[in-house]
Amino acid sequence: MATIAVPLGAQGEQQETEALRRPALSEYLRWSVDHKIIGVQYGVAAFIFFIIGGAMAMLIRLELWTPDLDVMISGAAYNSLFTIHGTIMIFLFIIPMWAAFGNFVVPLQLGAKDMAFPWLNAFAFWLIPPAAVVVLLGYFVSPAEAGWTSYPPLSTLFSGDGQTLWALGAHLLGISSIMGSINFIVTIFNMRPPEMTIWRMPLLCWAVLATSIIAVMATPFLAGALTLLLLDRVAGTTFFDAAGGGDVLLWQNIFWFYSHPAVYIMVLPGMGVLSEVLSVHSRKPVFGYRMVGLSSMGIAFVGFTVWAHHMFTSLQPELRIPFMITTMIIAVPTGIKMFSWLGTIWGGKIRFTSAMLFAIGFLSLFVIGGISGVMLAALPFDIHVHDTYFVVSHFHFVLFGGSVFAVYAALYHWFPKVTGRMMNERLGRIHFLFTYIGFLFTFFPMHVVGMLGMPRRVAVYVEAFQPWNQLISFSAFVLGFSSLIVIYNVIKSYYHGPIAGANPWRALTLEWQTTSPPPATNFVDDPIPFEDPYGYGTEASAAYLDAVDEAFSGAAPAEGGGH
Amino acid sequence: MTSTVHQGQKPKLGVAEMRLKNNRLGMTIFQISWIMVFLALIVVNWQLRFSYNEWPPAGVAPFDPLLPSAATLSLLLSSLLIKRGLDALRAQSPRGFLMRWRGAMALGIAFMAIIVYEFASVSDAAMATQYGLTMRLMTGFHFVHALAILAIIIRVYRSGAAGRYSGDEHDSWAVEGTAKLWHFVTVAWIMFYVVLYWIR
Repeated sequence: MATIAVPLGAQGEQQETEALRRPALSEYLRWSVDHKIIGVQYGVAAFIFFIIGGAMAMLIRLELWTPDLDVMISGAAYNSLFTIHGTIMIFLFIIPMWAAFGNFVVPLQLGAKDMAFPWLNAFAFWLIPPAAVVVLLGYFVSPAEAGWTSYPPLSTLFSGDGQTLWALGAHLLGISSIMGSINFIVTIFNMRPPEMTIWRMPLLCWAVLATSIIAVMATPFLAGALTLLLLDRVAGTTFFDAAGGGDVLLWQNIFWFYSHPAVYIMVLPGMGVLSEVLSVHSRKPVFGYRMVGLSSMGIAFVGFTVWAHHMFTSLQPELRIPFMITTMIIAVPTGIKMFSWLGTIWGGKIRFTSAMLFAIGFLSLFVIGGISGVMLAALPFDIHVHDTYFVVSHFHFVLFGGSVFAVYAALYHWFPKVTGRMMNERLGRIHFLFTYIGFLFTFFPMHVVGMLGMPRRVAVYVEAFQPWNQLISFSAFVLGFSSLIVIYNVIKSYYHGPIAGANPWRALTLEWQTTSPPPATNFVDDPIPFEDPYGYGTEASAAYLDAVDEAFSGAAPAEGGGH
Repeated sequence: MTSTVHQGQKPKLGVAEMRLKNNRLGMTIFQISWIMVFLALIVVNWQLRFSYNEWPPAGVAPFDPLLPSAATLSLLLSSLLIKRGLDALRAQSPRGFLMRWRGAMALGIAFMAIIVYEFASVSDAAMATQYGLTMRLMTGFHFVHALAILAIIIRVYRSGAAGRYSGDEHDSWAVEGTAKLWHFVTVAWIMFYVVLYWIR
């Protein structure tokens, strides 16, 4: 019960003039060191890549409508299609998308005026467009065919020159990711207000911190692997070529030492989002706050010890059991999060906003992806379904059912803060319905065809699988359509949505204790955080939120007709 | 990680203090992060050894560690002089700073000259195996970093010669940061030196 007298009262007058003064759209196309602009730049760029990658997924599903090769010219063309789909979704969509929310929200949640290194922040973002051009150019020149994992010798002896460009692009994206992560770690450690100890920090910041620690420790291994791949492709070395004393398993070891932790880079921030959204929209404190924060660190740590489970069929047999055990251990911190989220919403005053729906969608889908993950960790089962659609199903459950649902939850949750206007809730619910049903019927049946033996990464398949594949493809088209709904909603709401006000969700974290959108310096005075970022349901928190509402009430209706 | 550091209420830092604190932590994290690439290359070296029954492979003469040891000593002294130069600047002795950095640059260039010589004189027999390939990979990769950071040292030295830095730590981050980068190059090299020349 520390101070509940909110020091925001004096701001009212100043806020009024600044309210809903949004940056001009042209500012988003220019170099800017404002973390809020950079956050939106990341977000819009990543979403564009999501649409491009999604369109490619639609093509993949169109090809798989029939057992024969019909849409694509050749098997090789199909190979390059799923290669670029995976590459775009992982390197150009999910990782930058979390940088978007991290950039926009983390400094605000910490009450900071900007990130620790604003210039570096902008530079990290502006590495992405050229990297994307390089990768996409490769696709049109002479495409890579080796999948996003680019195993040699496929990627050294068979793939086209696009593979070289792919490696260069991935290099740039890795460097961008490292610079962004250094920025996040320094910001989170150094720039919190004096009242906010690390144990009072919002859980999104915990998750971004864990993510950034993984990124700075693991991404250099990707840089190492890509350097070797480039040398093998252009300089005639034989690091991956057994004929010259090299070893193809070398790539798998180094690459997965990066890429397995990288899957936590892709999902941990989503878990942070979930803690925020579930707590705010069910009006209850996060259950087991410390355990949620520490389990992020636990996942980050254990994540470094499991990489070889991607190599169960190529690894020395005696190493399989240890990696099977570490892989199963990682279900423990993830399970802690699951139970604490359930404990959070249990008995809460749940408001089924679109953000909440997507968060609950994440809960139900991620748990399926988690369970199929434990199944895959079991060595005998993994050998059986290795490289089948079961694996495809598993990682889409965690990366789409997990990460993308969390992206949508975050979008509906923070859109009012970013733009000052609310999203359309009715469209949001329709969007959720299409996404959830489309997703479930796209990816759940893949478990079945996978266990029946349909291999992944093939354009032709046995005729007996056709009914399953038609169900999957049809649902995939529904899923593809659902993203058009959210695009329409975002554009419509940006111009015509209801004015949000400072704190439409009555949330306690600091990003809501300023105008929407926040002024250039984020806060007019240094904000004082509430004693507990999730202390909902107490009189003190109600008093704090009322004081915030009062401080900004003059600001909200001032805009009226809209600019 | 450092939860205890942030316990208790501390006064808000000024802009200059905050910038220095951020720069220092950022540099530390960068060092921890980027050393991982060098570790990755050590893993590469290590795993490729298993392709052969013996190391160096049969018919390949092992590298002579004499010159590389001299190079390593030179780099260590260079790194030490860089640090002593920073200390001199902090002690309000700009001339001592410049003098020591001249020595550090000379020793650094000597190090790099030996490395270039070693890189160029790998035998064809060695290059036909991973013994020579990984050696060139590692020394080459390290050389690129040494060269880039030497360029930064020269640039900072010229600014120093123009009297741009006072002894105040808020005013001379460029000197401190550059010194830390050179220490990074030194540590990375010592790891490589041990793996390449002493672990058989």
